[in-house]
Amino acid sequence: MIRHLFKLVWNRKRTSALLILEIFFSFLVVFVVATLGMYCWDNYKRPLGFSIKNVWQLRIETKKSDDQHTPEESATFARLLKEVKSFDAIESAAGAMGAPYEFGQYQSGMTIHHHDVTMEFNEVTPELKDVLGLRLVAGRWFQEGDEKLSWLPVVIDRDLARDAFGGQEAIGQRLDEPAPDGMKPKPGMRVIGVVDDFRRAGELSGPGNYRFDLKRLGNPDDRPGRIILVKVRSGTPASFEETLMARAQGVAPEWSFEVKPLTQLRESAFRLRLTPLIVGGIVAFFLLLMVGLGLIGVLWQNLLQRTREIGLRRATGASRAEVHRQVVMEQILLTTLGVFLGTVLVAQIPILDLIGFVSGRVFAGGLLVAMVSIYLLSILCALYPSAMAARVQPADALRYE
Amino acid sequence: MIKNYLKVALKVLGRRKFFTFISLFGISVTLVVLMVATALLDQVFAPEAPEVHGDRTLGIYQVGLRSEQIAYTGFAGYGLLDRVLRNLTTEVPAVERTSILSVQSTAISYLDGKRVESWFKRTDGEFWRILDFQFLEGQPFSQDDEKNGHHVAVINASTRDRFFGGKPAVGKTIAIDGQTFRVVGVVKDVPVLRVVAFSDVWVPISTFKSSTYRKDYIGNFMAILLARSRADFPAIRSEVAARLKAAEAGIPNPEMYKWIFGGADTLLGAFSRVLFSTNSLADSHPERLLGVFLLLMMLFMILPTVNLVNINLSRILDRSSEIGVRKAFGASSWTLVGQFVVENVFLTLIGAGIGLILAAAVLSTLNASGAIPYSDLHLNGRVFLYGLGIALFFGLFSGVYPAWRMSKLHPVQALRGRQV
Repeated sequence: MIRHLFKLVWNRKRTSALLILEIFFSFLVVFVVATLGMYCWDNYKRPLGFSIKNVWQLRIETKKSDDQHTPEESATFARLLKEVKSFDAIESAAGAMGAPYEFGQYQSGMTIHHHDVTMEFNEVTPELKDVLGLRLVAGRWFQEGDEKLSWLPVVIDRDLARDAFGGQEAIGQRLDEPAPDGMKPKPGMRVIGVVDDFRRAGELSGPGNYRFDLKRLGNPDDRPGRIILVKVRSGTPASFEETLMARAQGVAPEWSFEVKPLTQLRESAFRLRLTPLIVGGIVAFFLLLMVGLGLIGVLWQNLLQRTREIGLRRATGASRAEVHRQVVMEQILLTTLGVFLGTVLVAQIPILDLIGFVSGRVFAGGLLVAMVSIYLLSILCALYPSAMAARVQPADALRYE
Repeated sequence: MIKNYLKVALKVLGRRKFFTFISLFGISVTLVVLMVATALLDQVFAPEAPEVHGDRTLGIYQVGLRSEQIAYTGFAGYGLLDRVLRNLTTEVPAVERTSILSVQSTAISYLDGKRVESWFKRTDGEFWRILDFQFLEGQPFSQDDEKNGHHVAVINASTRDRFFGGKPAVGKTIAIDGQTFRVVGVVKDVPVLRVVAFSDVWVPISTFKSSTYRKDYIGNFMAILLARSRADFPAIRSEVAARLKAAEAGIPNPEMYKWIFGGADTLLGAFSRVLFSTNSLADSHPERLLGVFLLLMMLFMILPTVNLVNINLSRILDRSSEIGVRKAFGASSWTLVGQFVVENVFLTLIGAGIGLILAAAVLSTLNASGAIPYSDLHLNGRVFLYGLGIALFFGLFSGVYPAWRMSKLHPVQALRGRQV
């Protein structure tokens, strides 16, 4: 049976080759969109590592790069944080460089135990653990008196601990960031604690390494923070934003401020990541619809050309169901060839490790979705033309010229 | 001759309605996607109001500071731009005007306790003379307003609606970002895709809350330079490059950085500079960005093309007796290739016409949805021409192979209606 089908496909090799090519490209389109979708879904299911319930951000805009700051600015920031904490409506407040769901990030790279590790980092004050509800899994969090240490205490997330130290104990390990020539070297960093995986960029972002450095408020060497994250008591009205802004503006008249619940940042982060996916999905849908209609037309026309062949089969005793099955099986064979080519091509991604973020699970999921949808599309498109072909009367068919 | 081909083509289209439908569906879907993408790019890059002189404007958008070890790239600081542009118009007559403007940021106001977010941009007076805003009331602020730090603002129509309920706003005050400004003018909304002009509220740079920005080399400013003609671009570029080089002597933190990278670019060049020379920003290669656009278009077209080729091949079989007759009466293969390609291009153009109508519908839906703030996406002559070009290309691309296959039919077999 299979050999016979191959023969039929081979006899019409030029037409078949073009159909296989079309299926191949459709497969690639679905694979790309499905893999991106799988990637988002896979990330969404992972633990986030923090909670933004009742958390607002007070963003400070100094209109300057981070490279330069004056000791006065650092002092203003410390005063501002103290002032913000004094509100009754605020449970706790923490200073930081970056906020969850924000677009930009602070990146750092270093060599640990002879291999290169990149990570995102943030400089935070000790209150951050309460504000974002971080969960410590080993060691301790920052505490009073840490700012006076001769070294810089850091807390890392589980991903970084795994990546940097493998199975070894992370607590107490030293991290050394190379300082650019001419710059004052940062004090040596030492890991004091490990928190659960922390995915700052939000639910849809991939896993990544993260490091919290202690922001030492009294130290004029430390730059002022760009963000104050506040946890307000539940039931605080939105109008409190204005009060908070006015107070902040009073403390630092030279800076600009913006207050926003983090839920709003979360929304924009979702929109930013989902929009390309949705646009891609819509375009892919129309492409598939186009391919589907095209396949129906081509199959129909091809079968019309083969009326005599089908008539002969019917005359020699093949039932309608058998003709039907033959046509669908031929189509499945063509699809298999196209999907096979596509799979060989996309298999290069994990084999050659082309795209780092595609994990095995995401890849397999994308592949599965692509295969299932292409087979479904292809079989659906074969049903109508094959039903038409099966309806051919042997006598008419044999006469047909 | 062409007229005859078109007649035949029309007849064929009418004969097999289902095939005609699926061909046209594929063609128009393909062209809708490409035309919408073109309209988006057009809104970013084309010289249209308010960026009417976009075709003879150069800009200093992103710059980088470097040493052997580290690099910092970002928007330029006011100090650097001021130093580079000072006396440029008098010393280099090819430069008609220059302007410094900040990158827009969001600024907050509270109206009856409710937060209102607006885009906020600080500019000088020249900004209003390089760009051509449509003023609904009032007028722009001037270079004098900027010099003397007057707290005046130009707002767009949507901001007028939000703050003043759509009533005339000139002379009234607006509280934003903790400062108060007197409204001097109201302009028509500018689409967010017009990266240089876009904002909700425009105020003079000198109303900045602190004055430290005046010394910064890296910050959040950009500059635009209006040339007298495009022919002056090379001269202006090398002058700007020389001035950036000279400005290296004044880097505020020389212990960290030694060199400045960047230059005067067209908008396309600026995007390309950021995309393709991430670290050094050494050169802009606008042709690379164009290449990427073309490559993406071709990639997208592969599947529709294969689909159309398949459909066309099936249709040929349908017409084998016609081809047999033509061949038997002496038509050469080339004539038949020509005829079929013309037919296919004709079909593509009909599809393009449908696509154009659909694209207009998609664009107006996009505008109405507010997904892109103040977007004013539309099909203009330029987009139409691009669309026509894409359609012709698509028609040729998908017509040549089936035409060649058709011309290879053997007349005797073709007359008998045998398969190819």
